[in-house]
Amino acid sequence: MSLADFLSQLSSQIPYGVFSVLSAVVVILLFAMPVGGLCTYFERKVAADFQERIGPNRVGPYGLLQFFADGIKMFLKEDTAPKNADLFIYNLAPSLVTAGSLGAFAAVPFAKYVIGAELDIGIFYVMAMGSLVSLGILLGAWSSENKWSLLGGMRGAAQIVSYEIPLGIAVLSVVLVSGAMGTHSIVEAQSWPGSGQGHFWNIFHNPFLFLNFFVYFIAALAECNRTPFDLPEAESELVSGFNTEFSGMRFGLYALAEFADVIMFACIATAIFLGGWHLPFVDLTQLQTGIVIGGKSLDPLLQTLLMIGVFLAKSAVLVFIVMWLRWTLPRLRVDQLMDLCWKYLIPIGFFNLLGAAVWVWVFNGKSILELVGGMLGVIR
Amino acid sequence: MNFLDFFVFICVLLGVVSAALVAFHPNILYAAVSLMGALLAVAGLYASLGADFLAATQIIIYVGGVIIVILFAVMMSENIYRIRFLEGAQKILMPFIMSAVILGGLFALFRGTTWGQLLVPLREPTAEVMGRALTGPYALVFQYVAIVLLFGLIGAVVVARPDHAAKNKEGK
Repeated sequence: MSLADFLSQLSSQIPYGVFSVLSAVVVILLFAMPVGGLCTYFERKVAADFQERIGPNRVGPYGLLQFFADGIKMFLKEDTAPKNADLFIYNLAPSLVTAGSLGAFAAVPFAKYVIGAELDIGIFYVMAMGSLVSLGILLGAWSSENKWSLLGGMRGAAQIVSYEIPLGIAVLSVVLVSGAMGTHSIVEAQSWPGSGQGHFWNIFHNPFLFLNFFVYFIAALAECNRTPFDLPEAESELVSGFNTEFSGMRFGLYALAEFADVIMFACIATAIFLGGWHLPFVDLTQLQTGIVIGGKSLDPLLQTLLMIGVFLAKSAVLVFIVMWLRWTLPRLRVDQLMDLCWKYLIPIGFFNLLGAAVWVWVFNGKSILELVGGMLGVIR
Repeated sequence: MNFLDFFVFICVLLGVVSAALVAFHPNILYAAVSLMGALLAVAGLYASLGADFLAATQIIIYVGGVIIVILFAVMMSENIYRIRFLEGAQKILMPFIMSAVILGGLFALFRGTTWGQLLVPLREPTAEVMGRALTGPYALVFQYVAIVLLFGLIGAVVVARPDHAAKNKEGK
């Protein structure tokens, strides 16, 4: 579906179109906000585990409601702004960041029929939304009239603009292999044709894509400003970097947007490399339980819930790895950051892109599993 | 008026207002931020016309790249609040003449073209068609643009590179 199609479909369904937009917004907010909040809790728990502490354990069972308490604190805090701040831009910046990172969720395919907008430029749209984030960080940093903030914002923008290139190359190699740019179509392309058995994950399609998964992952880490690439925040040198001067819910929006970004990149990695909602050798759409309520079979609902569960479980593993890295690796220096991007990731990404193109040409688009299975006679 | 028309109307409004702000706002940083609004509005117009790939490209290249570079330049310059665009009549006159000429040319072009009307709205995915065109009939042009960009990149590196020879002399 093209963007214009999507827009005109909405128009043909007024007022339902408006309702569907509103409900999508509500679902995204209800998904991204609590999950982002939960992520702050898990971040602290994971950190505590790595440092052999207990971590938050006072609010609610196992401290689970800690993020709720934090949220209330953020809301009630006084909203301060520096005296010389450029107030218009200062107020605009957190919204830009939030809009960028939440807007990208529209193209995340949670399950076979659960996706905000099935655009056929899906993955490209996600990257376009990401560029709003860098703009918000830079503007917020500049407008708060603080040298630490400005340094952090400059670093953040330079970092995000640079790492968009390896990220794009890695995504491009997937697009090349799948022959589609829509996130939904890419996930569908990773299943056995005609059935829902999805064991042809793109990461195992060929050696080049396997390497490009790591290029994608490292670049995505840098895009989210996560350790070891958290130079824009760099609390030991820049106080808190680009968000130093923000307080209350404005700071909360920055923090939330960062976690939403992490979740979004994990979701996209799941969708384009790890088979999305597919499980190996199991076709979730064929699941039959026979439970009937009110004359309607519950199976479609159960299947969809299972798919969402599979998708989110895969993403959660990636999010955990991101946190694991944060508490394991030290921060890079600025020159090391740029070296890693321009001297290593981009050449490796280009090599893999070329390799994937040659692979598709030589083996007619077949994955390594298909080739081995064909040789053994398992797959016809 | 359906939703799409409404969307187009919003985009046009946003585009015109932010373009006017770019031209007339005395603060250069606000002008740069309004330029972002104008470019986003153009992206919205592309999207409403069925050119979704172009719309996303517009956001990635212009909002994510060009605006950031402009902001970098603005923020690195000293005393940016004192820089004013409009100082003296000659600073208004030249841009006015230039834009009048461009507007007149565009208007003549619009009047001279025989516009057809699409009976069926053109809403096909554009990415695949563009990809095939760029690797097929327009491959040479595409490669030419790529080489020009490569030269630009190398040129930037050469300009930005500190002069090592001069530095060594001074150091020793």
